[in-house]
Amino acid sequence: MTGFVDLYTEGNTFLHRVDPRVKITAVILLSILAFVLSSLEALAVLLAFIMVLVVLSRTPLAKTAFSFKFVFRLMLLIVILWPLFDRSGEPVIASFGPLVLTEPALLRGVTSATRIGCLATVWYILMFTTQQRDIVRALVKLGIRFDFGLTLAISLRFFPTFSATIGSIMDAQRARGLEFGKGGPLKRTRNYVAVLIPAIVSAMRTADGLSWALQSRAYGARLDRTYLRDFKMKWSDYLALAAVVLVLVLPLTAKYVFGMEL
Amino acid sequence: MIPAPSPGQGDDKIISVRNLRFTYEGGVVAITDLSIDIRKGDYVALVGGNGSGKTTFAKNLNGLLRPSSGIVTIRGRDAARTAVPELAKIVGYAFQNPDYQLFCATVEEEVRFGPLNLGYSEDDIRRKVERALDAMNLQHLRDKPPLSLRLGERRRVSIASVIAMDPDIFILDEPTTGLDTEESDMLMQKLQNLNVEGKTIILITHDMRLVSEHAKRVVVMSVGRIILDSDPRGAFSDLEILRRSNLEPPAVTKLAHALKDKGIPADVISPQELVFHLLRGGESR
Amino acid sequence: MKALELKDVRFKYRGSDNWALDSVSLVVEKGEFITVLGCNGSGKSTICLLANGLVPHAIQGDFEGSVEIFEKPVMGRTVAEIATKVGIVFQEPESQLFCMSVEEEVAFGPENLAVPRHEIRERVEWALELVGMKGYNDRSPFSLSGGQKQRVAIAASLSMHPDMLVLDEPAYALDPIGRHDLYSVLRELKGKHGMTVILAERDAEEAAAFSDRIVIMNKGKVVDVGPPRDTLRNPDKLKRMGIQPPQLSEVASLLNARLSTSKYSFLTVDEAESTITREIIGRGGVVRK
Repeated sequence: MTGFVDLYTEGNTFLHRVDPRVKITAVILLSILAFVLSSLEALAVLLAFIMVLVVLSRTPLAKTAFSFKFVFRLMLLIVILWPLFDRSGEPVIASFGPLVLTEPALLRGVTSATRIGCLATVWYILMFTTQQRDIVRALVKLGIRFDFGLTLAISLRFFPTFSATIGSIMDAQRARGLEFGKGGPLKRTRNYVAVLIPAIVSAMRTADGLSWALQSRAYGARLDRTYLRDFKMKWSDYLALAAVVLVLVLPLTAKYVFGMEL
Repeated sequence: MIPAPSPGQGDDKIISVRNLRFTYEGGVVAITDLSIDIRKGDYVALVGGNGSGKTTFAKNLNGLLRPSSGIVTIRGRDAARTAVPELAKIVGYAFQNPDYQLFCATVEEEVRFGPLNLGYSEDDIRRKVERALDAMNLQHLRDKPPLSLRLGERRRVSIASVIAMDPDIFILDEPTTGLDTEESDMLMQKLQNLNVEGKTIILITHDMRLVSEHAKRVVVMSVGRIILDSDPRGAFSDLEILRRSNLEPPAVTKLAHALKDKGIPADVISPQELVFHLLRGGESR
Repeated sequence: MKALELKDVRFKYRGSDNWALDSVSLVVEKGEFITVLGCNGSGKSTICLLANGLVPHAIQGDFEGSVEIFEKPVMGRTVAEIATKVGIVFQEPESQLFCMSVEEEVAFGPENLAVPRHEIRERVEWALELVGMKGYNDRSPFSLSGGQKQRVAIAASLSMHPDMLVLDEPAYALDPIGRHDLYSVLRELKGKHGMTVILAERDAEEAAAFSDRIVIMNKGKVVDVGPPRDTLRNPDKLKRMGIQPPQLSEVASLLNARLSTSKYSFLTVDEAESTITREIIGRGGVVRK
């Protein structure tokens, strides 16, 4: 009933089982790699590698399609827009008046799009294979303050609630003859006010209730909080971590030590 | 009885639903196969537990949801082909939580909002607003900010804002939740007045006491179907039906059922009635 | 031992003109199940908020009188401290569950109290089983029905092993089946666990059967305190205070009036059935088929 899609799919693949802290580290390292690599070939290999991981995660096609719809649109947009701002280099492929399309600019556009594809996909894999609560818990374990983790968890937890509330408010106003997306700017603004005010009122009530509930459940009672669940690194987790480090270090060494054009 | 609204329609069916099926995005089937006719001036209680499909059904009547298949006809028009604001002129829908719609600075503005959206003339709007404020006993509060009012009053404002659109059909979702007996009685009396004026009322509720006191007809829903359609007494004489739709019969009805083989009729719905039967004899009615 | 003692308590919410509570004195003994009955604005919610210190600690206003929770004054203790003694469940199911899974929700309290991990595990399983939500550990609270949410909220309080549980209209937003399941849990808490409970409600249809005492409130004052049989005896009086009387009380009161007696009072359908069968039908009150 809500527009909210949790990207996580239950599964028991290697990517699901690996310690979330290793996954978060891997995502960060692979993101760095995507930034450092500059040749299209190298980035294409990286993208292919990440895509293999997506397949290995056994995420249902519906969810991957849903997620990649946005990535593809973004990549396409970059390829189209890049040459508009970057007209340097030879040879010129085509020109329409002031608009010039050169081969190097096109190449740079495609390269950037591929880089963005790598970055987005690697984060998607984390979301596909890790429950949100585990991501939050792993962040706290990695040293982020518990308060911050809790805030993040609460935001994630209440996202579907507020989506549903806003859906209900829009329904209630539509039932009173309000048409969204119609009329002049003034009318449109007023239409949004009709949703915004009830939404704010509802959010404020929820926030009140939330703060009472937190206190009543002894939040902040002592500094030495315990945790029901803990992550334990298994040998396979260390192995995975080592593999990820290698994936980062090998190309970097090739690029900066041996001067390969990657 | 008020005559049929327009010639050529032949009968006084104001709502006609044929083989309605509704599936939410993501594949949840909320209505499996539902057909029903509702006459003008009827007072229907639509009952069932959460998840029975009653709200989904109601939203198919005013265009907030469109049938996945089947036909919903409102006053002779195909609801699927009619825009929501057009339907809003015929079907008014008061949501359970008034705070999901109240946003204006005064009660009067709030009540004006609906008819203003529907594009009525200023004169017309003024008349409709006055009538709505009268109908819900809100004249003395017209300049107050709606959010400063008590829950019972806020609910009346939300219903007045529906009355102001002057629909023939009123759908009310749990209008008495959270109200005190006095406020609840007053509201139900106002709804009764609307019904006497010839308006069709569809009351969504799981309060069987409310049903027994006000409705002319009870439609019981369970997992997306109608499992009973009868007068209120019929609904109370079958405890199994109520349980199947996650409803709880009122205590007197349970007591009457317990005393069934002692000669007490099973469809007793008020304490007065039960005591009458106890003291005057179980078979004289 | 006194679980809660209010002495001449007055409280006015900030921004309000009326006393939400006006000279209220009340004692709740440990092990008692108390139902506080009243309409909107009668003060029953304020009693709940006082019973765990949210009033006056987190919710500001004018406060007079004294409150003792388990024989210690509420002043000088934080809500988080009192939470180890008193658990609370609110009206709105949605805003009191803030974790991403049922299990985390129930573990949250004991985690804050630094309970050892293996013991938290035991408490979580115990509490979920008690409220009939065993096996829902990994579900998101958002995906649960209203009734299930309220039962998880109860479990989340019970896992802190409180000595008293306070519930402020927990069945408010529930459908009949949700309400029924919730009351089964409350009945079990009273029957099997002897938990001290303060329940605020707008009607006593279910609670009449197992409450030790009923406190009737109107306009910030305690109007009547006593066993259900005494306090629910007069349905008209309850109606005048905006409280829907239990239907069985109405039946009893009508019978009393018609038969010029005062001996009838029914708290359960079974009780009403057997008494009526024995004393009214048995004496020819009803023409048999």
